[in-house]
Amino acid sequence: MLIAIAPAWPLALSFTPAVSLAVAAVVVRRCSTPASIWRAARAATLVAAAASVGLAGARIVVGAEADALVRMDSVTAVMLCLVALVGWVVVRFSGAYLSGDPFEGRYAQRMLATLAAVSTVVVANNLALLIAAWGVTSLALHGLLTHFGDRPVAVAVAHKKFLLARCADVSMIAAAVVFWSTFDTLRIDEIGAAASASASLPLGAQIGIAFVAMAALLKSAQLPFHGWLIQVMEAPTPVSALLHAGVVNLGGFVLLRFAPVVDRSVPTRTMLVVVGVSTAVLASLVMSTRVSVKVALAWSTCAQVGFMLLQCGLGLWEMALLHLVAHSCYKAHAFLSAGATVQRTQIRRLAPHPESLGLRHIWLGAGAAIVATLTVGLGWQALPGTAHLSASVWVLLGVVALALVPLTEPVGHGRVTPSVAFALVVPVAYLALHEVAGRVVMHGADAPIGLLIFTAAGFIGLFVVQSACRTRPDNRVLRRARAWIYSGLFLDDFFTRVAFAASAPPPAHTHPLPLPLPRPSSLPVVAKHPVLSFASRSDAS
Amino acid sequence: MSTPTSTTSTTPDRSVSAELVAAIAAACDRIAPTWPLDQFIAVNPYWGWRSLPITAAAARLGALAGTQLTMPRAWFREEWRAGRLSADQLTSTAVELAEPALSAHALELLGEDLAAEQPPLRRMALISDLRDRGVGPVRGRTWTDLLVHQISQHCASHFDEWQASWAPDRSIGLFGTWRLDPSVTHGFSWSRGSAWARTHLESLPDSAAQAIATMLDDLAIEPAGHEAYLTALLASMNGWAAWCAYHGWQARLAESDEDGDFQIVELLAIRLAWEWLLVADMPEGAMEQDELNHWAASWMLLDESAEETVEEQRIDWLLQTALERTFQETITTRLAQASVSTTTPTVQAAFCIDVRSEVFRRALESTSATVQTRGFAGFFGLPIDYTPAGTALTRPQLPGLLAPALHVTDALSDDLAEERIDRLHDHERWEEFRHEPSSVFSFVESMGLIYGARLLKDSLRNRNASDNWEMEGLDRKHRAVRPRLGLVHDDPIAAAAIGHRVLTAMGVSHAFAPIVLLCGHGSMSTNNPHAAGLDCGACGGQTGEVNARVLADLLNAPAVRHEISILGIYIPESTWFVAALHETTTDTVELFDTDLAPPRHASMITELSATLHTAGQLARAERAAALGLASLVDDSSALEQSIRERTNDWSQVRPEWGLAGNAAFVVAPRWRTRHIDLKGRAFLHDYDWRLDTDLSVLTLIMTAPMVVTNWINLQYLASTVDNHRYGSGNKVLHNVVGGRIGVFEGNGGDLRIGLPMQSLHDGTTLMHRPLRLSVFIEAPTESIDTVIRASQVVRDLVDGQWLHLLCIDSDTGVARRRMPRGWEL
Repeated sequence: MLIAIAPAWPLALSFTPAVSLAVAAVVVRRCSTPASIWRAARAATLVAAAASVGLAGARIVVGAEADALVRMDSVTAVMLCLVALVGWVVVRFSGAYLSGDPFEGRYAQRMLATLAAVSTVVVANNLALLIAAWGVTSLALHGLLTHFGDRPVAVAVAHKKFLLARCADVSMIAAAVVFWSTFDTLRIDEIGAAASASASLPLGAQIGIAFVAMAALLKSAQLPFHGWLIQVMEAPTPVSALLHAGVVNLGGFVLLRFAPVVDRSVPTRTMLVVVGVSTAVLASLVMSTRVSVKVALAWSTCAQVGFMLLQCGLGLWEMALLHLVAHSCYKAHAFLSAGATVQRTQIRRLAPHPESLGLRHIWLGAGAAIVATLTVGLGWQALPGTAHLSASVWVLLGVVALALVPLTEPVGHGRVTPSVAFALVVPVAYLALHEVAGRVVMHGADAPIGLLIFTAAGFIGLFVVQSACRTRPDNRVLRRARAWIYSGLFLDDFFTRVAFAASAPPPAHTHPLPLPLPRPSSLPVVAKHPVLSFASRSDAS
Repeated sequence: MSTPTSTTSTTPDRSVSAELVAAIAAACDRIAPTWPLDQFIAVNPYWGWRSLPITAAAARLGALAGTQLTMPRAWFREEWRAGRLSADQLTSTAVELAEPALSAHALELLGEDLAAEQPPLRRMALISDLRDRGVGPVRGRTWTDLLVHQISQHCASHFDEWQASWAPDRSIGLFGTWRLDPSVTHGFSWSRGSAWARTHLESLPDSAAQAIATMLDDLAIEPAGHEAYLTALLASMNGWAAWCAYHGWQARLAESDEDGDFQIVELLAIRLAWEWLLVADMPEGAMEQDELNHWAASWMLLDESAEETVEEQRIDWLLQTALERTFQETITTRLAQASVSTTTPTVQAAFCIDVRSEVFRRALESTSATVQTRGFAGFFGLPIDYTPAGTALTRPQLPGLLAPALHVTDALSDDLAEERIDRLHDHERWEEFRHEPSSVFSFVESMGLIYGARLLKDSLRNRNASDNWEMEGLDRKHRAVRPRLGLVHDDPIAAAAIGHRVLTAMGVSHAFAPIVLLCGHGSMSTNNPHAAGLDCGACGGQTGEVNARVLADLLNAPAVRHEISILGIYIPESTWFVAALHETTTDTVELFDTDLAPPRHASMITELSATLHTAGQLARAERAAALGLASLVDDSSALEQSIRERTNDWSQVRPEWGLAGNAAFVVAPRWRTRHIDLKGRAFLHDYDWRLDTDLSVLTLIMTAPMVVTNWINLQYLASTVDNHRYGSGNKVLHNVVGGRIGVFEGNGGDLRIGLPMQSLHDGTTLMHRPLRLSVFIEAPTESIDTVIRASQVVRDLVDGQWLHLLCIDSDTGVARRRMPRGWEL
C-alpha cells in the first residue's frame, strides 16, 4: 500500500489546482518581463480556482470518494476553494505591489510553489504524500520569508522557523512509522476507520496521534514556539497574508483529517486543549498590548490558531473548520489592508471618547450578553431540525457571550443603538454557521468534563483580566504584568537563545542588493575606526 | 511669519552644569521633527543644521550620523555617461566656486571607471559599535540592532494612543518607565545577571538631565566632547528623536509654557544609558581602559575631523553644483523669450504652488486662451484648523511652520451632529468587538466569512470614487455639508481684514475676472499609510478643499466685500469666487458650492467645467508615461479609467509621483515662464514687485513659501541620498505604528521617517534626481538683499547654500546668481 497505485481517473483530477500552479511556477522563471510573469501567475491561479470550484461541485453530485492518494470529501472541497481564493487574491495583489522589485520572478515562483504544495496537502489521503507536500510548503515558504535575504532579521527568523519545521517533519515521519506498524496502512481514511473500529485505541495509535498533534503545534506557532510567526513581517505583506491565512492553519487541517483518532485519545486531546487555551489566552493579551499593526495581527493569529486547536481537542471539528476558513478570510484581508490603518485610526479619532467605564457597566454588559446568548441558544435548541448542542458548544457560546460585552455595555443616554441589536444577531449567526459547518464535518466525541472546565476557566480568566485593565488602569500589579506581557514573557527570547546556540542562523547576504537606492551597506560604516585614527593622531602630536 | 525659534531649555537644575544644559539643548536642536502619518508634511531633515553651511553640516553629519548629503560618485558617473553633465559645465562651475583646479580632478574621476572611488565615510563609533566587534547578544544579531529595537518598542508603547488597547504606565515618563522595563533587564543575557542590570539602572538619578550628567561622568567624556557625543547618540535613534522633536515643535507653536523638549531629552538619557550599561557589563578583555580613554577623548576632535571631510567632499559638491547649474540653464536660457499676455481673462484661476499644479496649469492655459492661472500657497493664507461637524477631531489646515488662529467646522444641525456621534460610538464599539482579547475569537467565527467577500471585492477593479472617511457617520443624503468660518457672518470686519490680506498677497487686487477659481489640491490613494504625503503640504498634509471653500465663501459674502472695499480693494458684483479641488492622482477638478452661484455665472461655470475636463485629459496624457501607462496616451477615456482604478487599487504602491523631480521655485508673474515646459519640476508663485512697495509680500514669500519648498526639496533629496536614515524604506514592508505615528520597516527597528523608496524610484530609474532647490525671484536685487538681511532663517538658507537663489531682471529676463561675493551673471 505504501507504493501508491495510480489513482482512478476522476480522483486524479483533484490534483488539477496543484498541477496548474506547479506548472506556472516553472513557467514564470522563463518569463522575461514582469508583466508576463504576473500574467502567467494570475492565469494559473484562475485555472486553480475554476478547478477547485468544479471539484467542489462534483463532490456535491458524486459524494465523498477516496483512493490510495487522494481524498475528496466536503472538507477537501472547502479547503480547495479557500486555498484558491487566497491564492488568487495574494497573487493578484503581489503583481502591482512588488512592481519594481528586482526579484519579482523568483518571488512569483516561490509563491506559486507554496500554493501548489498547499493544494496538494489538502487533497492528500496518503500520509507519505501529506508529509512530503507539507514539507515542500514549508521549504517554498522559506524562500518567500527570505525574499529580502539582505535583512539579518529576515534571515534569522526564517532560520528559526526552518528549525521548528524540520522538528515537525521528524514528528510527522515518526507518526507515519508508528501508524504503519500499528494499522499496516498509510491511508489516512483507513487509519481513522481502524481507530474508530477498535474497542480501545491501540498504544501505537495513541503515540502516533500524539506525534501528529506535536507536529501541528510546532507548525502552528503555538507557545513557546511562536516567535517566528510574530517576526516574519520582514517579508512582503502578501507573504504574511498567505502565511496567516493559509499555511499556518494546516496543522488544524491535518488534525481534522485524523479526527477519529484524536477523538479517542484523551492524552492528545488534553495536550491540544492545554496548549491551545494557554496560547489563545496569553497571545490575545499580548496582542492587546502591541503597538504596530502587523505585529498585533500576528499575535492575534497565534491566539486564533490556539483557539482552533482547542476546538480540535474538544471534538468541535465543525467549529474548527469554520474557524479555519473564517479566520483565513479575515486575516488575509486584515494583512492586505494593513496600509489603511491610518485611515481607520482617523475614523476612530472622529468619535469623542466615551466616558470611562466602571465595573458596573461591565457587570451590566456581561449580564445582558449572557441572557441574550442563553435565550438564543435555548431558542435554537427548541427549533425543529437543528442539531443538538453539546456541552462543548455551550462552552463556546459562553465565550461568545463574553465577546459581546463591548456591544452590550450601557452608555450614557440609554438609547438602543444598532450595536445592542447586533448583540443578538451575533449568536444567531454563530449557531447558524455551526449548523452549516455541522453538515460538512461531523461533531466529534464529547470532551472530558475536565477539559471543558479548563477551557471555561481560561476564557473567564481572560475576561476578568481584560475588564480589570479597563476599569483599573492604575493598578500596580497589572502595570507590572503588562510590561512582561508586552515582552511575551520572554518565551521567544529564551527559545531563540537556545535554538541559535544549537544552530546559528546563516549570515545575511549583502549582494545582490534588492534596493536600487544607495544603502548604508554601500557606505561603509565605521570603516576607519575612530579609536585607531585618534591613536595615530595622538602619536603624531 | 513666526518660525518657531529654538528656545530649548531643560529645567534648570543645580546639579547639571550650564554647559551640559547647553550641550543637551544643542544636540536636541539638531533633530528635525516628523509629523504623524495623517499630517505627513514634508520636513527638511537637516533643518537643525541650517546655521552651518551645507558642506560643513554634511561633514559633521557624516562623522556623527554616518550619512552623506550627495549621491555616491558612481551615480554622478552615470549622469556623466548619459550626457546630463558636461565638461564645460564642470569647468565653469569650478571657476565660479573659486576652485578651478578641482574640475580637472573631477573629470579624471568621471572618465575612468575605477577611479571614481568614494572616500570611506568615517562615522565616529559609539560604545555599541565597539561592543559589536565582539560577541553579539544573540548569535547573528548585533547589540546596535537589538538596543535600537528595544528603545523603539519602548517609545512606540509610550507614545501609542490608537493601536494597543491595554495602555502602559506613562505617569513617570519615557525614561522613568524605561528604567523599570523588564525587556532591558530580562530581554538580554547580561554577563553580570539581570538583577545587577536592574540595580545598576536604579542607581541613576530620576531626572533625565541629571542621569545624563552622571553617565557622561562615568564614561569620562570631557565637556568639550559632550555636544558631539550626544548628537551622535540622538542620530542613532533619529526616527524616534524626530517624533520627540515634533512634540517640542508643537509646544513651541502653541506657545505653551510647558517645556516641550523633555521627551527628546528623556530619549537621549535612554540611549546614553544603553552605552553606560554596555560599558559596565563589558566582558573581560573586550576593551582596554586605554582604548576607552582614547574613545572618550575622540569626541573633542569633531571639528578637526570635519575639516578633513569637507576637503574630501569638495569634489562631490562640485559635481552636485554642476548638475544643479545644468538644470538651471534649462530655465535661464529661455526666460528672456517671455512676452506679456494682453488678453483679458474670463477666468482667473489660483492654484497651489505645488509642482503638480504646473503640469495642469500648462494644460489649462493651452486649452483656453482666456483662462489666466496664478500660483499661490494652497492654504490660501488662511491660518485655520478644521473639525468635521460634530466630531472630536480637529486638524490643522496650514503649513507646519504656523499655528492655527481660526477655527472652521461644517454647517450641520445639532440633531444630525448628535446622530452622527451615536453612529461613531457604535463604530467604536464594533472596533472593540473586533479587537478586544476576549472578543476576537467569536468575532472571527461569526463575522470572518464576510471578509471572504471583501477579499473578492477589494481585489476587483473599481472605478468608483472612493468614500471620504471624513464623512463617516453621516447619512449619504447629509454628506453635502459646507465647511464654514464663523467669522464671515459674525464679524465681517475681521473677515474682511483676512480677505484683504489674502488678495494682496495673491496679487489679485484689481481687474477681477468674472470668475475667480480658488483651486486647492488633494490626492487619492487606497491602503496607503503615506497618503497624506501626497496631499497639500501647505494645508498640513490635507486636501485644500476646506481652505478653498472657506475663502470663496468669505469673498462672496456681500457684507465682507463691502468691508474689503473700505480697505481699498473693490470686488465687482460681476465677480464670483468658485472653490475647487485639483485631484492630483487623476488630474480631475471638482468644483464646490456651484449651487450658490448667481444665475448669470451658471453658464460660465459649465463652460469652465468643460475646459477643466479637457485640460485634465492633456495633463493625464503628459503624466501617463511615468505611471507606466504610455500605451494609453492616445485613448483618453481608457487612460482616465485606468488612473481611476489605480486610485482604488489596494495593492498600488505608486498611485502618483507626488513632488518627485522638484528642483525649482519661480517667484514671478506667470507670463515669465508661461512659454516654458517646466515638466512638473517647478513650484510657481505669482509675484509682481511693482505692486509690493513695502516688500511685505516678498518678505512673506521668502520666509514662508520659500522655506516650505526648501523643506519639500530637501526631504526628497535626503530620502534619495540616504533612504535608510531619512527615508522610510520599502513600502512592501511597512508596518504602521500606533495607528498614526509612523511606520516600521518590517518587524521593528527605529521609527522610519521620510519618503518610501517607491515614491522615488520606479524599479529601474530614479524618478527624483536629487538637486537642491533653485529659487528664481523676479525683483530688484536690492529688495531681495533687504529681505535676506532682515531674516535669520533666509540668511542661513541662502548663505549656507541650502538652496540656490537667482534673481530675474524684469526688463531683460536675465538671471543672476547670488554668490557669497554678491550677484553674478
